Amino acid sequence: MTNGKTKILIVEDEKGLREGIKRLLELEGFQIELAERGTEGIQLGTTNEYDICILDLRLPDYDGIEVLRQIKLIFPNTVCIMATAFASYDTAIEATRLGAFSYIPKPFTPEELLYQIDKACQQRRLILESEKLKKEREERLLELAYEKGRLNTIIKSIADGLLVVNSKGEIVYFNNSCLKNLNINSLKIGEYILHKIPNQIVGMINQLEKDNDPNQSLINQIEIINNNGLYVEAACSPIPFQDGKYSGVVIVIRDITQYKKIEIIKSQFISMVAHELKTPIAAVIGYLKIILDENVNIPAEKEAEYLERSAIRLSGLVELVNDLLDLSRLEVKEKKREFKEIELVKLIKTTIEFLDLEIKKKNIQVEFSSEISEIKLNADSSEMNRVFTNILSNAIKYNREKGKIGINISIDENYFVVKVSDTGIGLKEEDKERLFQEFFRAKNEKTRGIQGTGLGLSIVKRIVESYAGKIEVESEFGKGSVFIIRLPVVN
Amino acid sequence: MSVKDKVKKILFVDDDIDLLEQLKILMEIRGIEIITAETGKEGWEVFVRERPDAVVLDLMMEHKDSGFVLAHKIKKTDYGKKIPVLLLTSATYDTGYKFDTSSSEEREWVKVDGIINKPIVVEELISKLEIFFESNK
Repeated sequence: MTNGKTKILIVEDEKGLREGIKRLLELEGFQIELAERGTEGIQLGTTNEYDICILDLRLPDYDGIEVLRQIKLIFPNTVCIMATAFASYDTAIEATRLGAFSYIPKPFTPEELLYQIDKACQQRRLILESEKLKKEREERLLELAYEKGRLNTIIKSIADGLLVVNSKGEIVYFNNSCLKNLNINSLKIGEYILHKIPNQIVGMINQLEKDNDPNQSLINQIEIINNNGLYVEAACSPIPFQDGKYSGVVIVIRDITQYKKIEIIKSQFISMVAHELKTPIAAVIGYLKIILDENVNIPAEKEAEYLERSAIRLSGLVELVNDLLDLSRLEVKEKKREFKEIELVKLIKTTIEFLDLEIKKKNIQVEFSSEISEIKLNADSSEMNRVFTNILSNAIKYNREKGKIGINISIDENYFVVKVSDTGIGLKEEDKERLFQEFFRAKNEKTRGIQGTGLGLSIVKRIVESYAGKIEVESEFGKGSVFIIRLPVVN
Repeated sequence: MSVKDKVKKILFVDDDIDLLEQLKILMEIRGIEIITAETGKEGWEVFVRERPDAVVLDLMMEHKDSGFVLAHKIKKTDYGKKIPVLLLTSATYDTGYKFDTSSSEEREWVKVDGIINKPIVVEELISKLEIFFESNK
């Protein structure tokens, strides 16, 4: 019926009548199938959904009522018309109870039959229409449930905790992150919660309720687990009723532990910088006060020595400030790096020449060797200069009188390898790992009096790593160190 | 009785050679001898050998806590318990190590008898030593 002809099944044992109905209805444009016996009728009627069935009440094998029952069990929307010469009140009731649409007494005229069929068609159409509407409604409901479920899934998956509390302090809604970010094991919808959540949040809730301003939000940072185990930022906003009255509060709880950790590192770094700046200044002031103090009599050569020491401390301070500026430039990647082709062998040789005075002062012997005569790198020359000046001046500074410095350049698969060895004081095992940290300086009897900012190697490491290179140190305390710098070969 | 009668020799442990030199000058004109060490390790050796009448030590030397470690070692000895040990630091607020020695509980925990801030004001050092002898009469 929905697509094409209306399908009608006729179950009738009287051959003449069966064929007669068929012919009549086919002329009217219906699609007809026939069954002589009840078995056949049940078989056809329960495997195909017919729009209409005309069932004889009395069949040789089955009662027509039984055929009706079986068909209705499988296809309740098939419209069934009972036809019989033995109409009785009881059977009519029974057939109607089982879902028969109407009754047509035998014998009937073609007009009578067509009238019944017409009514049945209308009924079938109504049934199909209502089925369709019902299905559509069900689909919409399903979709709505799905929508709701999806929104729920989304809220539950957010990393920020979400907690909704009504004006009685009971939970209306919460997601999983809320449990995690408040370090609470379990919550129940409807449960009174104000004793379970941090006081700062309760304070904000009370404040919002008191102020009753729908546009006000309050934010607070709260330590949930001590020692920076868990730090959250809780943002509370009121939920107004339609009449504008306070009805509750929605709280978003964000985990800010990582930010807090960075903040601490930053403030520790600043404290260290302040400490490093203050120390040389204090030393210089100390000397100046002694020189200026009339109560203190010191010989002229001592005075000169103190001024000399002050000058050394101040130049150390200038060096420190320069290193800090370099560090901050490396930190903020905005530093204008000028990449151009530089020749590494030449750069290292120039650096050695530049440090010649210090090398001669300590009577140090420098041995230079290279497997490769020319190494082309695309790099910022001031950065590369910084790296090798730092490594080489360390090799001089921490060397012994009449010591040696070896510089060897080689190639190892994808890296150019520059090894700078010295015969200096070397490193203790425990100092090796800390060597590249900011402000770390090995402090022992041998480093006494050697100036340094503690930033040089950390800057070198940052530069080398910014070129996808590596820096390592091999060292034996009291014998010397080897710094190995690897820079990638770029084709 | 003034500090000078009690304290004739102070051990000063700091890794800043300039501060050692300055304190030496400033204390010696007051008639107090200063013996020095530059590391916690050396400080311990000098303490054992010289038995100073007071110890002033820097907090951060070869390690961040070298001063604490040395103070702890000194205060564990019978001799160390009898003399004032002062911790020298500019770190109190700067480096996030916040501590104080105003109560005996704190002094017990830090294992020192007082804290002096850098740069050292000689008068402050002397008054801290006086406080120690006053309260340990």
